[in-house]
Amino acid sequence: MSADAATKPWPFDSVLVANRGEIAVRVLRTVQKLGLRGIVVYHSADRGALAVTMADQAIEIHGSTPVAAYLDAQQILAAAKSSGAGAIHPGYGFLSENAGFARAVEAAGLVFIGPRPEQIELMGDKVRARNFVEKSGFPVAPSAIEDDDPASFVERARKVGAPLLIKPSAGGGGKGMRIVRDLSILETEIERARSEGQRYFGDGRLYVERYIENPRHIEVQVLGDAYGKLVHVFERECSVQRRFQKIVEETPSPALDEALRSRICETAAGIARAAGYRNAGTVEFIFGQDGEFYFLEMNTRLQVEHPVTEEITGLDLVHEQLRVAAGEPLRLAQSDIISKGHAIEFRIYAEDPARGYTPTIGPVLRLHAPQGEGVRWDSGVVQGGEVTSAFDPMIAKLIIRGSDRGDAIRRADKALRETVLLGCKTNTAFLRRLIAHPAFVAGDVHTGFLDANPQIATDPPMPSATLQALLAAAAISTRPMRDAADAIPDLHAAIGAWSN
Amino acid sequence: MHHAFKLGEAEHNVELSRGPGVYRLHLGGDTIAVKLADTADGRSWLSIGDRHVEVVVATRGDEVFVQFDGEAYELRYRHPLDRLAASAGGAAEDSIRAPMPGSIVAVQAAAGDAVTKGQTLLVMESMKMETTILAPRDGVVDAVAFEKGQTFDRDALLVMLKQA
Repeated sequence: MSADAATKPWPFDSVLVANRGEIAVRVLRTVQKLGLRGIVVYHSADRGALAVTMADQAIEIHGSTPVAAYLDAQQILAAAKSSGAGAIHPGYGFLSENAGFARAVEAAGLVFIGPRPEQIELMGDKVRARNFVEKSGFPVAPSAIEDDDPASFVERARKVGAPLLIKPSAGGGGKGMRIVRDLSILETEIERARSEGQRYFGDGRLYVERYIENPRHIEVQVLGDAYGKLVHVFERECSVQRRFQKIVEETPSPALDEALRSRICETAAGIARAAGYRNAGTVEFIFGQDGEFYFLEMNTRLQVEHPVTEEITGLDLVHEQLRVAAGEPLRLAQSDIISKGHAIEFRIYAEDPARGYTPTIGPVLRLHAPQGEGVRWDSGVVQGGEVTSAFDPMIAKLIIRGSDRGDAIRRADKALRETVLLGCKTNTAFLRRLIAHPAFVAGDVHTGFLDANPQIATDPPMPSATLQALLAAAAISTRPMRDAADAIPDLHAAIGAWSN
Repeated sequence: MHHAFKLGEAEHNVELSRGPGVYRLHLGGDTIAVKLADTADGRSWLSIGDRHVEVVVATRGDEVFVQFDGEAYELRYRHPLDRLAASAGGAAEDSIRAPMPGSIVAVQAAAGDAVTKGQTLLVMESMKMETTILAPRDGVVDAVAFEKGQTFDRDALLVMLKQA
């Protein structure tokens, strides 16, 4: 393709990835593929992680907690300076939607691989984004915003009506959100959400919106350049969630026909165009059972689930992000972007679904990633590593591509079955039960699907043949038991054999 | 001397003895010839009687992890002496353990406090959600093991109640 390093030099020769885990690995892969130097920062808790070993240069950063280190803009900018980085990719989470950080990166004379700071401020704040979208003539759900008039907030929230959803204005990823079905506990729930918002985001402001029963979560990938050109890269359906967090994402959405698909994608592109959006972003919608959809929020960064979009379009979204950040015009017209086949992403979490999806920790004693046609494994953990409680419990993403949805589900079951990760409980067996469920097979899910079907998270009864095999393998692998068995004289053992 | 493995909430008594070229597993009155043979790629062949299945096994301390038929299982070995010691210990309701890893958001009880069943002792935070830890019975707090802001793993001892 014309405007790459082959024909025109990049304005930067190195990219620092201000992130960790699988996304740092993902970004480094493209950076290094393009012949650029890949640099990462890391906290000592991540020493030995895949991103650190594959980077051309890795710089240790410090913090009162590991997370604090990755949130420390000053240390990251200092690392960029000392390593001679020309650009910074923020990944997702951490500083990726922090306008102050984007501004500081640019002030330091570096390229921020993402939108302009003003766009993060406008679209990254739920309240501002919602007002902007409504004013621009796009659909939003009934709501009450605390900032409009804090004194009347509770009263206005009550008027939105039950069921309603309380959210922190500065939030994301489901943190601090609460559903209220009984308005008599509205005030208590508002105070609790405020305390959580204060703790996670340092910002206790809230807003409330109508909760749509059994909604689907459908989002649209957009890509814009610095010259006002913007395209959508189709939708992703992310309705299977637990604790308001996505665990399975797919594209195309099984809920949309061609006309609706085109309408939701064009709406997303219209919203992003109205904002003059640059780089990769995602416009999220809440999609009701009646086929109506409302703007939910915009994520002004690369999403966790971006690989499914890559798998059906053949695009490398990080490559496109780098080109746009380098000041290149988009090389794709809308008609150039074609969706082919079906892709599903599974978030492999260190957690125990049968215990309310509580996080688990432990060493990665054995790791065999699944392989094969249409199987992609994006992970930052390696055998010999450790899953700690310091970070989010997502340890890998398994992305499956198939010729159609049924084909993708079949391949996914095989790949999940082949995935071996010992030392730390994961959700792979749960994911297999989920994709075998008739409602999932039919594409008939909503964001409350797992809460409504708790049996999917429950471990099924164990067949006695399985128990026997597990105890046999465990007994032979346990030294005190082997030693006790081996201590018995041969003669005794021989008599034992005769007596059988 | 009884060896056992804990699997989930259940404990299973097993014994192992030597047979010619194999081990024998003694389980619930049955005796089965068993053998575990490692292969080059880190997997093993497990023979149980005339069944042969592929497994992946890893151990760490008393923990045994087994991948079998596409699923991972975790077993914990219970040495005969440890089991004896545990059975002599106090009632489970005297110690309140963490249901999941997390950190302490608020401490609402102190050593010496009289508490009633269902009273909030601690507020913990895990997975970005708050959970309250309640007193399992009426009693007096013996010790609170963590302060606000401290983090802990699952099963960590959070609060001790004095024996009733």
